[in-house]
Amino acid sequence: MNRMSTLLRNRWVQIGLIAVVAIVLIVAPLMLPVFANQTLIRIGVYAVAVLGLNIVMGYAGQVNLGQIFFLGLGAYVAAYGVTHDWNILLVFVAACVIPGVVGLLIALAASRLGGLAIAMITIALPIVGVPLAKRLSDLTGGSQGVSARFSGAPEWSGLFDDQWQYYIVLVVTVGAFVLGRNLVRGKFGRGFKIVRENEAVAASMGVSPYRYKVLAFTIASILGGASGFLYLAAVQYTSPETLSFGHSIALLAAMVIGGAGSIAGSLIGGIYYVFVPQVTNAIDPTLTAISQGVILLAVLFLLPGGLVSLPRVIRRLTRRRTSRPTQGGSPQTTPAQPPPAAVAQEGPENTERQSRS
Amino acid sequence: MVAMASIVALAVSGCTRGGGGEEGDGEGAAASPGITDTSLTFGITTPLTGPTAGPGNCTADGALAYFGVKNAEGGIEFGDGKTRTIEIKTYDDQYDPQKALANFQQMVAEDVFAAGIGLGTPTNRAWREAAIDEEFPQVLAMTGDPLFSDREESPWQLGLVATYPQEGNAFGTLLAESGEDHKVAILSQNDDYGDGYVEGFKEAVADADNIEIVGELTYEATDTSVDAQLTELAATGADVFFNAMSITPLVISSLQKAQQLGWTPSWFLPSNTSSPVAILEPGGGAAFPGIYTVAFSEAAGSPAFQESEEGQAFMAALGEYTNQDGVPGFPHCVWSWIGAATLEQAFKNMEEPTRESFMEALLNISDFDAPFMLPGAAIDTTVDGIPAVSQVVVQKYNGKGYETAESFG
Repeated sequence: MNRMSTLLRNRWVQIGLIAVVAIVLIVAPLMLPVFANQTLIRIGVYAVAVLGLNIVMGYAGQVNLGQIFFLGLGAYVAAYGVTHDWNILLVFVAACVIPGVVGLLIALAASRLGGLAIAMITIALPIVGVPLAKRLSDLTGGSQGVSARFSGAPEWSGLFDDQWQYYIVLVVTVGAFVLGRNLVRGKFGRGFKIVRENEAVAASMGVSPYRYKVLAFTIASILGGASGFLYLAAVQYTSPETLSFGHSIALLAAMVIGGAGSIAGSLIGGIYYVFVPQVTNAIDPTLTAISQGVILLAVLFLLPGGLVSLPRVIRRLTRRRTSRPTQGGSPQTTPAQPPPAAVAQEGPENTERQSRS
Repeated sequence: MVAMASIVALAVSGCTRGGGGEEGDGEGAAASPGITDTSLTFGITTPLTGPTAGPGNCTADGALAYFGVKNAEGGIEFGDGKTRTIEIKTYDDQYDPQKALANFQQMVAEDVFAAGIGLGTPTNRAWREAAIDEEFPQVLAMTGDPLFSDREESPWQLGLVATYPQEGNAFGTLLAESGEDHKVAILSQNDDYGDGYVEGFKEAVADADNIEIVGELTYEATDTSVDAQLTELAATGADVFFNAMSITPLVISSLQKAQQLGWTPSWFLPSNTSSPVAILEPGGGAAFPGIYTVAFSEAAGSPAFQESEEGQAFMAALGEYTNQDGVPGFPHCVWSWIGAATLEQAFKNMEEPTRESFMEALLNISDFDAPFMLPGAAIDTTVDGIPAVSQVVVQKYNGKGYETAESFG
């Protein structure tokens, strides 16, 4: 086990692994059946949304129950852009910026309030969003929704539509995850962590809780908007139903199941969000809701750190059985180890935080 | 990072089992996917869990029961002379458009021949274009959205239930034919739902000299009270009130408010907000000279239905092949049954085991005496812009339930 992790820490091994994974990701859609590609596309969409949620909730510790609103807003902005023949890059930028600005404005006001007040405000977002989307029918197509098709594969690419969409989603998702990872590993990640643990301590250290909360919220909104863009690329249709409150809670559940305060957990959350309904459809379609509830409860009881903590838990169990730990073997939370202070520590604290949120 | 990447890789390899639908499936004379010499697979994506699960389950159950009986009898003889059983595959979309699309993609991967009968406008719209791309029949959608019955826009689609304009039109026609002078006040929900009703109504009374529209107001679907609008409309002295309202509590409070105002016109209410027990009784509907609505099918709860042989067969089939307990609480069970009977007609007439042939047969049904249709209502799939239910009937409240109204008044 130890030799494995030292091996993994070798820089060349890391680069090699990343290269292999990158090749797999690029080649996969060419080999996989259509439905597998379509599933991966949807996983990408929701992984980005969960990532945004994770940054504001998992890392900065602010309850956000309105992430779906930003996804929906991003999708509507993208739909508006596509139906008005904007350049696709401009559509993407607008789909990120407009939800980001809205998120910023809301955060500027909401972050002045205490924890639960923020939760209330974020609850209001999808609740206001649905009737608003119905009412602004000139922009949104009303309750019938609007379909916008831009993600068909162009002639020159020689690809099928699902492969083309996969690459769009892959580029944005990988970009979002790399940025998200760098963010939480750096100065801002440390700031988020202190704000999450204790605002008074943060303030005394010169870290403004207000500013960091606004920042986290805004980043979550931008990522929500980006996932909305991907949603439109994948589904090619959006309606007020897209931003209904229930889906926001489902996203939250996906984040908790994947692992709050974990980048990889966001991806697992996305996989969960897409995969479980698909599997229950195959078993008994009337069990969708209940199976999700059961999984959520099981994860909360057995793996409070989310599915992402499963390998760590297994490692801990096996280590306890095999040897009394000598002093040197401090648990490796992440294989690529930056300076200790930068590690957004996972583990016991994680569980504590979850019981709060 | 590496952990993350390996999870991606894992996910990728885990997905290969999706299997099935490869691009560029053989087109032409060969059989379409999902049909063999002995069976045909038909998919239904509809909300089976979540807030709309009640009507959603009914939407699937009617067809499950219908084909359950047919399969037990040995199957259906198709137009090409082969007898096939109909396998219904249900998928839960929880009224989420994105899941409906995912379900469609799953159906394609699982070789479903055609799909439909599912409930919901946004959920059906979410995969409409994908179905057109795939040349995949999306038929008898349970939505009042006229888009699905537009042959030009939706070549692989067809709606089942009457559209909103159709309902408004039916009432307008009855009113215009009365020959008496009527002043009409209109209140409608400010969205495509309300607009559809008003559009159909106005079209029907456009050439009628005896009908005058004296007031027309709207409200928002999020409003909790329409008292102001009612007061204003009451002042117009209209003797007919056309109320295109989809929200149950608002309809009840409107009925009560009008009585408080001493305004007792004849009412028109949409089919989904005219339930005698849930709306008219608490609203005090008996105080008005007439409350009209539109229907096309018999109500499963009515004594006549329960006593008829067909009705008993329906109840027995529901009991045997579905989880419905007793008389279904939603009309969608009966509608789904009617939809299934319409599908059977199409199956009987399709001459080749292809999706093209199926659509051709489906869009060619007229003079079909479908089960549980009210006298005067009809199934006709040959009219452009009109869903399978082509004729609806105006009904009048009689203090307990509804009876077909031959004329207004």
